[in-house]
Amino acid sequence: MELYELNLSFLVEGLKAKKFSPLEVYESCKNRIEKCEKNIHALITRTEDFAKSQLNENNNGILAGVPTILKDNLCTKGIKTTAASKILGDWRPPYDATAWKDLREAGAVLMGKANMDEFAMGNTCGNSAYGATHNPNDISRVPGGSSGGSAAAVSAGYVPFSLGSDTGGSIRQPASFCGVYGLKPTYGMVSRYGLISYGSSLDQIGPFARTVRDLQLVMSVISQYDPMDSSCFRGKKFDFTHSEDVSVKGKKIALVKEFQDFKLDTPISDAMKKVQKILEDEGAIITEVSLPVVARYAVACYYALAMSEAHTNLERYDGIRLGYTVKDASGIKEMFERVRSYGFGSEVKSRIIAGTCLTEPSRCEEYYVAATKVRTLIAQEFTKAFEDVDFILQPVTPSLPQKIGENDDDEMKSYATDLYTLPVNLAGLPGLSFFTGYSGNLPVGLQLIGKRWSDPEILNTGIILERHLGTPKIANGGE
Amino acid sequence: MKLNSEEVNAIALESRLLLTEEELSNAVRYINNFLDMLDRFKELNLENVEPFSFAETLECPLREDTVISFTNTQAIFDESEHVDGAFFKVPRIMEE
Amino acid sequence: MAELTFTPVIGIEIHIRLKSDTKIFCSCSTNPDSEPNTNICPVCMGLPGTLPRLNHKVVEQGMRAGLALNCGIRPKSLFFRKSYFYPDLPKGHQISQCDLPITTEGFIEVHDENGNLKKIRVHHLHLEEDVGSLHHSASDGRLEGAATSYVDYNRSGMPLAEIVSEPDVSSAKEAVEYVTTLRRRVIYSGASDVELEKGMMRFDANVSMKCSDGRWGRKVEVKNMNSFKALERAIEFEIKRQRKMMLNGEEVKQETRHWNDAKGVTTASRTKEFYRKFIVEPDLPPLHISQEEIDAVKAKMPEMPDVKANRYVNELNIPREVADVITDDKNLAAYFEECLKFDANPVRISHWVRTEVLRVLNETQKKISDFTITPENLAKLVSRVDEGKLSTTQGKEVFDYMFKNNSGIDEAIKNLGITEGGVAGNALNEIIQNILKENPDVLEEIKSGKDKKGKKLKFLQGLVMKETKGQAKPQEVAAAIEEAVK
Repeated sequence: MELYELNLSFLVEGLKAKKFSPLEVYESCKNRIEKCEKNIHALITRTEDFAKSQLNENNNGILAGVPTILKDNLCTKGIKTTAASKILGDWRPPYDATAWKDLREAGAVLMGKANMDEFAMGNTCGNSAYGATHNPNDISRVPGGSSGGSAAAVSAGYVPFSLGSDTGGSIRQPASFCGVYGLKPTYGMVSRYGLISYGSSLDQIGPFARTVRDLQLVMSVISQYDPMDSSCFRGKKFDFTHSEDVSVKGKKIALVKEFQDFKLDTPISDAMKKVQKILEDEGAIITEVSLPVVARYAVACYYALAMSEAHTNLERYDGIRLGYTVKDASGIKEMFERVRSYGFGSEVKSRIIAGTCLTEPSRCEEYYVAATKVRTLIAQEFTKAFEDVDFILQPVTPSLPQKIGENDDDEMKSYATDLYTLPVNLAGLPGLSFFTGYSGNLPVGLQLIGKRWSDPEILNTGIILERHLGTPKIANGGE
Repeated sequence: MKLNSEEVNAIALESRLLLTEEELSNAVRYINNFLDMLDRFKELNLENVEPFSFAETLECPLREDTVISFTNTQAIFDESEHVDGAFFKVPRIMEE
Repeated sequence: MAELTFTPVIGIEIHIRLKSDTKIFCSCSTNPDSEPNTNICPVCMGLPGTLPRLNHKVVEQGMRAGLALNCGIRPKSLFFRKSYFYPDLPKGHQISQCDLPITTEGFIEVHDENGNLKKIRVHHLHLEEDVGSLHHSASDGRLEGAATSYVDYNRSGMPLAEIVSEPDVSSAKEAVEYVTTLRRRVIYSGASDVELEKGMMRFDANVSMKCSDGRWGRKVEVKNMNSFKALERAIEFEIKRQRKMMLNGEEVKQETRHWNDAKGVTTASRTKEFYRKFIVEPDLPPLHISQEEIDAVKAKMPEMPDVKANRYVNELNIPREVADVITDDKNLAAYFEECLKFDANPVRISHWVRTEVLRVLNETQKKISDFTITPENLAKLVSRVDEGKLSTTQGKEVFDYMFKNNSGIDEAIKNLGITEGGVAGNALNEIIQNILKENPDVLEEIKSGKDKKGKKLKFLQGLVMKETKGQAKPQEVAAAIEEAVK
């Protein structure tokens, strides 16, 4: 067995027991990246030299010497950060994102910045100024998005864990497509400082790993109150300590009534049945909740809000202070127009126009303000549902990963496939994307959702599921 | 169709985006499909519904008024191609 | 045909820099004298991934300024993003409370053309961030036609209060009184020093005209006024311009115009007015202010200057002009009130403060905070002059001595060699006799009737005054000399 194949918790134990050295781990991961990256293209920037320099810092933290990869919308001091957009050029942020700062202080070393859909807008990782990422389980297929590079990197064994961000499913969907675990934490649990914003009230940073226990370890490091983020919750400290002594006995786990009529790929509906059986055998009670507003309005509500917030978040890219620019414009307006027209990709432009349109004075009430109210109804619907049940079990996506280039020409249909993930962001809930097995060579994932701040309980349930469903194997990475 | 190409182009210009003909026709289709999708909001009675906010972080945290200077301003300057001496230099502002 | 009359309808928007050590959303210094682009950080430069953090002090200052304008404080307010593209605005949007501000409505009182008090309603005050400053390279310093502009982001993120009035102002004079009173009140509240020369107060005015024939012109927004004088001139110009148009039967269009201070005209703005759309700032939860905090700030609010001036007039019988001058400066008024604690006549003290204190401060270019005479010493001095123990001339001498030498009153009198109560009676006659003996020729001239203009008499008086070190009463000296030369 190669060192790169070790899951995070084993790696940490082995390093601690000095069974192998951080340098050996580093070399093993580096070779794995070298071998697969030409097939997968998970990374925008490789930072192995930086990682090596970190190894000399003699950090004794909990993650000392553990290689990791960050989605390229997380700011890294002095290291190129692009959000997969041409408009950021070769920008080197003058500061670290808080989540990365926490990992760095714990000793993690940075092997690369992962590919993504531009500004996290997309669900295939094909909408990047740096080219598409391929699914390490089947390189003809998409890895999912927008955090596709982060998911693919963990799946292919580049690193034992990585960070992504999830605005409407951008951690959970690629985790499912690549066959790894991904947690979208409760909004406010992980500091967003240094995360390049897409939809600020929806964005949340979270981890990818190959076991649930590994997610717990990463969460214990990054779930800290940060005064730099005013939406960060300072109420309490969360306990992500791993324990095998967990149970779902007597817990109520619900399916969403309105979702039962929607069509799913057979492997996904089979997985739903399999997981229900496991949970019942473990003593849980399978029940049903009704979420009619979510089912009918969540997609429209989500995209209206995401685009309204996104277009204001993207107003800062004007070519003056950083990134791509032009130097021969005759006036400021011309400069802004040329920088933005060249710098943004077409999906981003469409969303900027949509967001601008929705928030214009003449349409603001009808669309943007209405969406903020629909969001209240959606959140209330979840609150009420969680008065009766502990968790909701549902798919991540209706289908398995499609072939690269096989995208639907109708964006609205593509958006509709996000129905299972985006309501979680609207209500600020935690959601775990977990591995259930393979259909052929493609992994099949499902999702467990809990009430706000129930992230530790969700992961404990994940431990039980993993025990029954098995741990995903490292993808062949096109080799 | 809710918006014609002229209107969509005007919105694009407000956002400082110049669209090619292809981008514009694509944007017109996109925005109209999108607004159609949002039409379903009209089915709901939202009159007495408050806009959403998170219950736990309902209160804005307040920062103490103590100066902490950012020491690495050079790293900010280094990223701009428009630095001229102590200033950021930009092309003329008034036009038309 | 009856002559047409026009009534100006004017609303005023004011931006005031609030006083705090750090910017509204980051910990950068607000020092206005720093070198360009030194008080900057990732937050106020709008770098990707950064988030705003609201400054508690700015919230308090906003409350103080609001209370000074008789506004209520809203228990819950919100921040919004106000979008427009401009090089001085790093995020492409300004974070502003425009739609749900920290205060409710208030008012300021001014005098109308008949001298009666009139309320100008304040619609609200809200908090927002300032933008960077632009320097233009056109030879005449104008914005228009400049080939390049230079941006300094030190000002980006400085805390501002925007104060929006209702259209209750009817003349340029009222406008000036409104902003003057408002400024004084804000300074009193401690919310801002409002130093005009440092650009801490900027004005926009909405001007429209109502005609006696029922026509009502559209609202014209006039921007770019940075002084009281500019505000006054711009409004006067705009009133004249619109009146003329309406007299000619032209229609006044709704537009934005810029005040050109050098030329003394308003010109139609060539830039398209930015596109006002607001979304809630998702990075800042709602601002909640508890009743306890409101009460605490209220309890510390000082008496407002116009209220104070009225009290001086009504309760202390101080002349209006003197009361206005003293209350114009919060610290001067505090000094004056401190003097009152030492049993001197308030009216007399007020005159000394109004004339002598302000004179020496003005002559030495000092502030009242640097003034060396303690309120107790000034009060004693005024009492002694009042009681006739010191002549007015002596009083002023003692005043100057105390100011220059940072001394107490007794020390000053002693060092000046003044005998309290003055030189009179026999002592005075003795001095006069001696002077006459020493100047027999002068005495001869007077006696022979050659001193028709009384010049020689004045000369003798001067010698006597000098000899008494000014401690004699001039009229007594004059009378005694005339008696002696008869």
